[in-house]
Amino acid sequence: MTLADLVAERRVLLCVGSGGVGKTTTAAAIAIEAARRGRVTAVLTVDPSRRLKDALGLDAPGGTARRVPLGPIPGRLDALLLDVRGTFDGLVHDLAPSPELARRILANRLYQNLSGTLSGTAEYMAVESVYRLATGANYDLLVVDTPPASHAVDFLDAPRRLLALLDSRAFAILKDPTTLLGSAGSRLAHLLLRGVVQGLERFTGLGLVREIGEFVEMIDSLMDGLRTRVAAVGELLRSDATRLVLVAAPEPRLASETEALAAALDRIGLRVHGVIVNRRLPSALFGPDATVTPLVGVAASVERRLRQGWSDLRALAAHQTAVLEPLLRAAHAPIVAELPMLPAAPASLTDLTALGEHLFPPAGGRPVLARSEGA
Amino acid sequence: MSGSRVPLLTSQRLVVVTGKGGVGKSAVTAALALAAAAAGKRILAVQAGPGRLGALLGAPALSSEPQRVRPGLSAAVIEPADALAGFVHGVLRVGVLARRLLESTTFQVLAAAAPGLPELLVLHAVTTWLDQRRLGRRSYDLVVVDAPASGHSLPLLAAPRTLRGLARFGPVAELLTRIERRLADPAETLVCVITTPEELPVRETIELCREIRALGLPVGPPIVNAMPPRRFRPGDEEALAHLEPGHPWVVAARFLIERRRVAAAQVAALRRATGRRPLLLPLLFAGPEATGGLETLAHELSVAAGFAA
Repeated sequence: MTLADLVAERRVLLCVGSGGVGKTTTAAAIAIEAARRGRVTAVLTVDPSRRLKDALGLDAPGGTARRVPLGPIPGRLDALLLDVRGTFDGLVHDLAPSPELARRILANRLYQNLSGTLSGTAEYMAVESVYRLATGANYDLLVVDTPPASHAVDFLDAPRRLLALLDSRAFAILKDPTTLLGSAGSRLAHLLLRGVVQGLERFTGLGLVREIGEFVEMIDSLMDGLRTRVAAVGELLRSDATRLVLVAAPEPRLASETEALAAALDRIGLRVHGVIVNRRLPSALFGPDATVTPLVGVAASVERRLRQGWSDLRALAAHQTAVLEPLLRAAHAPIVAELPMLPAAPASLTDLTALGEHLFPPAGGRPVLARSEGA
Repeated sequence: MSGSRVPLLTSQRLVVVTGKGGVGKSAVTAALALAAAAAGKRILAVQAGPGRLGALLGAPALSSEPQRVRPGLSAAVIEPADALAGFVHGVLRVGVLARRLLESTTFQVLAAAAPGLPELLVLHAVTTWLDQRRLGRRSYDLVVVDAPASGHSLPLLAAPRTLRGLARFGPVAELLTRIERRLADPAETLVCVITTPEELPVRETIELCREIRALGLPVGPPIVNAMPPRRFRPGDEEALAHLEPGHPWVVAARFLIERRRVAAAQVAALRRATGRRPLLLPLLFAGPEATGGLETLAHELSVAAGFAA
């Protein structure tokens, strides 16, 4: 399986990975190359840098599609910026039984607080956006740059988690904490628990329980619709139309994060299908077996510095290999592409297009350092 | 690389190290801890949230109880979620009730609706360590915190202010006033923002420095980690033009020259935007885990922090 196959055959490509590995750039490069290969593509990004925004022409407010000017190509590419709050508000409007109730929910202080801070909200809204775009008829392919969740699985499991969190039974406990004890608890235990929770509220000075109660009654009316939607979103993520690509970089911190990610994905029935390694020094030039024939006609002092520079990069390449080894073991998926380490961050459409070409090596050319398939 | 300059640390006893993910926060924290310990200080290095501090200090299994990892150097790890759990256990006292409450999704709602509470409790734990005394003297001269990546460290540093709007009276309000005053005191606290000399991290660092200052917290000069060395001379580029472009030596030289140029430009941009002269730490090609790696960083930091004579 190559990245080219994925782009040609699937409908949704999710780029997952930790913050700072180059997910956004990689997603943009994949999307550009897909459009150049004739796919009508959208790239949904979460938090692009200023320069990437400029390169993609993303000056519009979140949620609005912008055509990326790629010149005369067989396909086309739109770029969209994720708008968490707007998507959440849109979802409430969709699901609320009446516009009046939708307005009341959107005005609730707790909703405003929760829609921004509740763990998984941004992630769920990203998935919701993917669902809306994928079920629409406008695009063949969606390339998605997922939020830099410390556990990227927050993103993929967000629908279920949000549902569990918003489920009225969970909120009911806050209205009456003694439900925690079930019928088994003694009268004393009930009194004790009620007392301590009230004490906790007083102690923190937070008037939460009452406000949550009000919120619960309103959100209750959304639950049926949300349950149906979450099931549909989950189906899309697990279907053959969707593929997960892990974007990684040779950094020590990523091994344990990847391990946690793979384990968490496994628990929710998902897996990484391929790994894109970013910022890799080419092993042909700097690998352990790379050799050089000395250059002729170079001053001895210059040659000393040239040798030093080469051996510096060989040390870095060796460090990268050592760091990647546990990461790839944890990811349990083959490398589908490698991106070279660049002296500066890619900044323009031309840079991104060049990166795209690296991602899709010409037919017959195996990606460097390929691992065996079928992991 | 430091040269003569105002020492990073004067009287401060709390150093909070933060920055974008992947810039080397844990390595810099570990190196600072080693430098302080080598200068004869009793130091506690704290990992707040995920990170590699323990692995770098040769103690991969850190716990919330400080453990001695080297002479003069102790280390601990503290997770906001665990701090919150500890707090709930402390308030509820009945273990089984606390466990059930913490396991319920309800509690996630409570925690999300009270943003900053877990983070405040982390700060509370850190200040408790700062004040801890044994046999009439302080347990630690210096506490260095390896804070979460910038996106998550702002909630940590802003916790007192975030909660202020919600809790005006009572024990929590008193606790956060005390912690807020302490964090804001430049004689007590220093926040160090780490970056690499690359565009995205530098941008984020400039923004983060601004936000931390807006919170009224004392920020040190930005620390640029992994600064590529200047390996080549101006005349070398001329010589390279006449050599085979695909030769590994030439590719390496061009890469390193360009990398150094970009890095220098980023350091200049950082200096312009923050008005501070960044402290530069060298790029370790073989990584901080390689023999002598951390010691190299520790030496630079020791000079900069004013530990070394």
